[in-house]
Amino acid sequence: MLLEVSGLDVRYGRTHAVKNATISVGEGEIVTVLGANGAGKTSLLRALQGAVRPASGRIVFDGKDLTGASPSARVRAGMMLVPEGRQIFVSMTVHENLQMGVYLRSDRDAARDIEAIYDRFPNLAERRDMKASVLSGGEQQMLAIGRALVGRPRLMMLDEPSLGLSPLFVSRLFDLIVELNQSGIGILLVEQNTTMALEVAARGYVLELGSIVLEDTAESLARNPTLTEAYLGGHQNSPSHAAGENA
Amino acid sequence: MLLIQQFVNSIMLGSVYVTVAVAFTLTIGVLNFLNFTIPTLFMLAGMVGWALAHWGLPFGLSGPMTWPLALFFGICVAILASLLVERLTFRYLKTKYGDSTEHAIPLVSSLGFLLVLENLVRIGYGTDAQRFPGPSADLTMNIGGIFVRIPQLVSLGIVVLIVVGLTWLLKRSRIGRGLRAIAENPDAANILGVDTNRVVPVVFMLTGLLCGLAGALFAVNYGEVSPQMGEDIGTKAIAGMVVGGLGSIWGAVLGGLIVGLTEMMTIHFFGADTVQVAVWGLLLLTLLLRPQGLFGHHSIGKGKL
Ligand SMILES: Nc1ncnc2c1ncn2[C@@H]1O[C@H](COP(=O)(O)OP(=O)(O)OP(=O)(O)O)[C@@H](O)[C@H]1O
Ligand SMILES: [Mg+2]
Repeated sequence: MLLEVSGLDVRYGRTHAVKNATISVGEGEIVTVLGANGAGKTSLLRALQGAVRPASGRIVFDGKDLTGASPSARVRAGMMLVPEGRQIFVSMTVHENLQMGVYLRSDRDAARDIEAIYDRFPNLAERRDMKASVLSGGEQQMLAIGRALVGRPRLMMLDEPSLGLSPLFVSRLFDLIVELNQSGIGILLVEQNTTMALEVAARGYVLELGSIVLEDTAESLARNPTLTEAYLGGHQNSPSHAAGENA
Repeated sequence: MLLIQQFVNSIMLGSVYVTVAVAFTLTIGVLNFLNFTIPTLFMLAGMVGWALAHWGLPFGLSGPMTWPLALFFGICVAILASLLVERLTFRYLKTKYGDSTEHAIPLVSSLGFLLVLENLVRIGYGTDAQRFPGPSADLTMNIGGIFVRIPQLVSLGIVVLIVVGLTWLLKRSRIGRGLRAIAENPDAANILGVDTNRVVPVVFMLTGLLCGLAGALFAVNYGEVSPQMGEDIGTKAIAGMVVGGLGSIWGAVLGGLIVGLTEMMTIHFFGADTVQVAVWGLLLLTLLLRPQGLFGHHSIGKGKL
């Protein structure tokens, strides 16, 4: 297993955001985590990248225990998070944003990897010396993924990457995720776009109010009648609403 | 002619303000934190430099290079003190309360550092101003009736170099990108592997270097140091920074020069008593007409590099 997480708890004061979560991602596997607003998906990913300290639990990546490791140690080990809301640096140029992705790399290939991103995303190449704030939402998402990709991750974690994208960009995004996976990168995909996520993933987990309530292959989850119910989890969010966000 | 002479003098005074203002603006730009130890670091370099020149250098060093070496050690002490401030206030408080954007506590504790260090120096050396044995006064050029002291010229050169170097560091280097990333979005910087505990000390080191240099320049150009030399320079540098725009390096450069010019011109035309009114009047006027300062961002008080 590439990533093995057991008994993970995340607390913010009184809020118990993630409760005793046990998940795993295999080498070169796509795994999705589904759940309604506030289910704890972001908290889970942030704990995995080391941005929040879990209250308890164990995180083993590639055989190494990274439970108490700093985010930089996790980046070095090969974990990269594409955060919710993209979080690109709008005061920097497109190129500088990509350079932030190789912040910890000192090898000569780093510059070549950045050029490879420009080959992959010609839109970014055209705007390389412009401030990242001029990019469209879709381009910003490409930049956020490119920024993570140049770090040469073995596991890429994406937090609701399709949020706010046009349908055209959503399908391009999912194609890209499959493509990255085929190049050998393990993917942990947090999504509210259940249908698309289950189409590309091999397995999936459903989070509800911080707990994993369902765990199965993507195929059976897609057919599972209780999924919609668990996914709704007492929130006003509905599949049609989720679809609306992606329109 | 006298007016031109005053103009030349104001550039020299302004360059001291510029250096300190750049230190203030750097910390605000990256850490969003008004570092009150800056005037102390400035004073520390001058006082340590004076003490070493006066009482003798360590390691049995002596000779004609005594005062430059003394100032060099003074600058080193300022850098070390600044790193100590980071360890004891900023880092501890950040790890304890987990929010590096909550700056009321570092602000107060840095103010505490200012008072403690300043009074320690006072206890050690008294409150009297001390004469700094700098270069002799005949190092003066007479350019068509305007007197320009060589040390002043050298100082100006150093300040220009420092500001250009700092701009290069921030814009072009890896560590500079890390600093700007933390300034804009500490969270996103963190998950990409920018280690705050490694990058933040760089800010404090640069702060110590800038303040130490400014203190040394002051000692050389005005031939006098005292435990309270940081107070006036510090407040005027803050004024310069605000006029130029919080968080902007070039704003601090321009603001520092403007404050120096205002001070000299006010002395020239209205006498020394009116200086404070003029400088702080200028500051208030700037805040009224252009609250973000000359080069600052529109989001007031959230100046970013
Ligand atoms: N920094 C924080 N401090 C306190 N509570 C938080 C913090 N971040 C998240 N929470 C709370 O933890 C719970 C889980 O939030 P989280 O952001 O992980 O959910 P999510 O599944 O990512 O939601 P969304 O779909 O809206 O992104 C929520 O109740 C949220 O209010
Ligand atoms: Mg979320």
